Amino acid sequence: MKSIQFIVNGKECTVLCPPAKPLLDVLREDLGLTASKECCGKGECGSCSVLIKNEVVCSCLILAGQAENQVITTCEGVGLSPNLDVIQESFIAEGATQCGYCTPGIIVSAKAFLDGIDHVPSVGEIKTALGGNLCRCTGYTKIIKAVQTAASQKISEPETIR
Amino acid sequence: MNTKWVGKRVKRIDGPEKVTGELKYMTDYHFDNMVWGKVLRSEYPHAKINSIDIEAAKNLPGVICVLTHKDIPGFNGFGIVVPDQPVLCSDVVRCTGDAVALVAAETLEIAEQALSLIKVDFEPLEVVADAEYALTDSAPKLHPDGNLHSHVKINNGNIEKAFEEADIIVENTFYSPRQMHAFIETEGGWGVMDDEGFLTIRCPGQYAYRDRMQIARSLAYNPERIRVISSPIGGAFGGKDEITVQIYLALLALHTKGRPVKIHLSREESVIAGIKRHPFKVQMKTAAKKDGTLLANQVKAIGDTGAYASLGGAVIALAIEHSCGPYKIPNVDLEGFCVYTNNGIAGAFRGFGVNQVCMGIETHMDMIAEKLGMDPIELRKKNVYHQGEVSSVGHIVKSSVGTYKTLETAENCDLWKNREKYKSEVSEPWKKRGVSVATSFHGIGMGIGLPDYGAASIELLPDGTFLVGVGCEEIGGGNSTAYAQIAAEMLNCDISNIKIVQGDTQKTLDGGTVTASRSTYTGGRAVAAAAPRMTELLIQTAAEMLNLDSSQIDLKPNHISAHGEIIPYKSIYKYLYDHHQATRVEGHFYLPKEKEEIKGSGGAPHHLYGYLTHVVMVEVDTLTGETEVLRVVSIPDAGRVINPQGLEGQTEGGAVMGIGYTLYEDVLIENGYHKTRNFTDYIIPTIRETPLIETFPVEEPEQSGPFGAKGIGEVVMIPIIAAIMSAIYDATGARICHLPATPERVFNALKDLKKQKVQSSR
Repeated sequence: MKSIQFIVNGKECTVLCPPAKPLLDVLREDLGLTASKECCGKGECGSCSVLIKNEVVCSCLILAGQAENQVITTCEGVGLSPNLDVIQESFIAEGATQCGYCTPGIIVSAKAFLDGIDHVPSVGEIKTALGGNLCRCTGYTKIIKAVQTAASQKISEPETIR
Repeated sequence: MNTKWVGKRVKRIDGPEKVTGELKYMTDYHFDNMVWGKVLRSEYPHAKINSIDIEAAKNLPGVICVLTHKDIPGFNGFGIVVPDQPVLCSDVVRCTGDAVALVAAETLEIAEQALSLIKVDFEPLEVVADAEYALTDSAPKLHPDGNLHSHVKINNGNIEKAFEEADIIVENTFYSPRQMHAFIETEGGWGVMDDEGFLTIRCPGQYAYRDRMQIARSLAYNPERIRVISSPIGGAFGGKDEITVQIYLALLALHTKGRPVKIHLSREESVIAGIKRHPFKVQMKTAAKKDGTLLANQVKAIGDTGAYASLGGAVIALAIEHSCGPYKIPNVDLEGFCVYTNNGIAGAFRGFGVNQVCMGIETHMDMIAEKLGMDPIELRKKNVYHQGEVSSVGHIVKSSVGTYKTLETAENCDLWKNREKYKSEVSEPWKKRGVSVATSFHGIGMGIGLPDYGAASIELLPDGTFLVGVGCEEIGGGNSTAYAQIAAEMLNCDISNIKIVQGDTQKTLDGGTVTASRSTYTGGRAVAAAAPRMTELLIQTAAEMLNLDSSQIDLKPNHISAHGEIIPYKSIYKYLYDHHQATRVEGHFYLPKEKEEIKGSGGAPHHLYGYLTHVVMVEVDTLTGETEVLRVVSIPDAGRVINPQGLEGQTEGGAVMGIGYTLYEDVLIENGYHKTRNFTDYIIPTIRETPLIETFPVEEPEQSGPFGAKGIGEVVMIPIIAAIMSAIYDATGARICHLPATPERVFNALKDLKKQKVQSSR
């Protein structure tokens, strides 16, 4: 057991856990942040996607010790109701969530993608950015639309108004 | 009809909690005093169990209990139709997914270690790895009655005479893959028993009341003292219709002294233990006249149901009922066999057998059209049955039939009309494009012989809002939003005043399954039956409060008005509460049924069907054999559309799942052992494989449905399979009859084609 510190969704936290515990389990069990899901446990599906310093990672493949002192953002950190991020608003408006189990991971990937660009992305760009996130319900069509809608809204309202 | 909510693109009511991740799925719960459950699965696909020694496991520090078949208080079996699957195997194992023992421990690691300490003396037996071999005399019998689980047969007319008189006959054999549901949330949940022996099981499922019955049967426990919560679900598609881990949780909860116990299967365990789509071998022979009139169809389908029945018998029956497509073929000889093997377990999956036969009849329609030089849509339009006509299985179809309209829409869509132009626009010179069409249908509800009903409750809450309770779970498709739309429409209130509760044996009435494309239709009708009772309650109460006649009361949006006075609903609630009167009403609905079962059919016909036509364009790389689906046009007849956005969610998701089935997906099992273990080797479509998908619903209102709606959840993935197969042919001249159409299969087919051409030119 080791005392490990992280900054999760802007908050400093200390967790006492084996350093080899997957970050995903730390988030879900020790910090009660269950938006990130385990689906394959092998880094294949993206359901556990979180940001470490604005980079998308599969939290099932990161060990707690590796994430020590890192700045981590989960889907809860992107936005919580009623203060939703524009990406989350767009996912609702376009009907881009169905069963919802993959949705938090996709929101996180979409957030990292849109934060790094300043234009409305093409379908091809979105397909590359979200290529690591599996969804079995939606057929992805509305996800593509939601990301474009979010991008155009971000451009028309550059300052995030909360 | 002028509506405020129904038929509108209403945003999902569960959207906010899903996009933030705030929604707690059952597998998201974690408690400080929680213990972990694990299941010991069989080492062999077929073996005798000589002994099970749990001593070492029990003595491992941190282990709370180790259970075997001896610890099952009630019936050691489960299964929706025939409960032939042991909860925990006692004498024999029939697949590697079979459960032999359960462990509960302080941590997941200890539970896993305990599993390794359980010593099971297995004596391996011959493995039955092939469904056709299973039917031979030399195959070992996997169940007391042999390896044939069920056999269905439908005969009409005179098949021999029809084949003699036919101008054209096509005959082929089709093989279909063992598709995995690949829901993103693997099977799991948690259970707990309180001080008074009341058991609560929270586990995603597709019919809470039936799960409760199966738990109670195994525990020999009063079902009234068991609560099952089965919604929300992180995807199911039929894969959580059968019991998954509910009985394991209940058994362990009997021994954890009031501590909650959780099981959440790893993907690898889910692949091995979870049910799959039945792989089929379908032999089909279809005859037509020169003018394109279909004369006869002969079908022999063999489905591999694996080690246990689950819904295998019903899957084969539905396949045979649908094996002639939505056409009127006067002479048919249709036969289906559902066979036990040691290849895992197969059961319910979106489409329920129709996928496997649709690829046969629709490929044949294309072949007949080509041989006759007819347009494939014309050929279909000529042969489809209309409302009031006799189907191929010999019943008069009384409910709404939209096939003809879907075909007309297909004919006029941009992709079909301009297909020659689109086909010429290949992305590389060595790639070839093809455009094809296919149509299909799918029964809604259970068919003959099974109870089929919907039930809903509406309760007026203290704050003046309404709680609508429907047994059917929110599986992801958005039925909760559809129920809220119907309730808001009929109660004349804002949708934000509707709350929905689903899938909870304590809070919702028994309203049947979330399967068989039935939940919008039956649940929606039940809500529509309850709503007038609520409005009557509101009006009567207001009349009583104001001492007026009920004819003087007006139901306005979100309130009642009478004589210029406004009465908010919370005042009505307070009045009812103060006067000790009920604030809750119920609505019930029985699905209309056909009166006469087709002899030997195992439950056919259905009263109601949903219809759909797909047009697709593919591009095939002739150097690698890779196929890419570029465009899909989905034309459903779902009756009146309750929510266009929700309908598109189904057509788009179904299309992509159909692409996966046709091109990539197959759980490979060799001699009873799974070669496919996770998403590393089981490939489902990613966002990169998403084509341009357009949806053009034709609305052929169904009188019996809520606001004219029918079901759509399954047919959305069916015709696309055959359409892709035909589009590959259109592009390359190669017919693939063995799915998935992997690059290897397409490449080899192209190679064979070349060889044939060289030979014939000699």
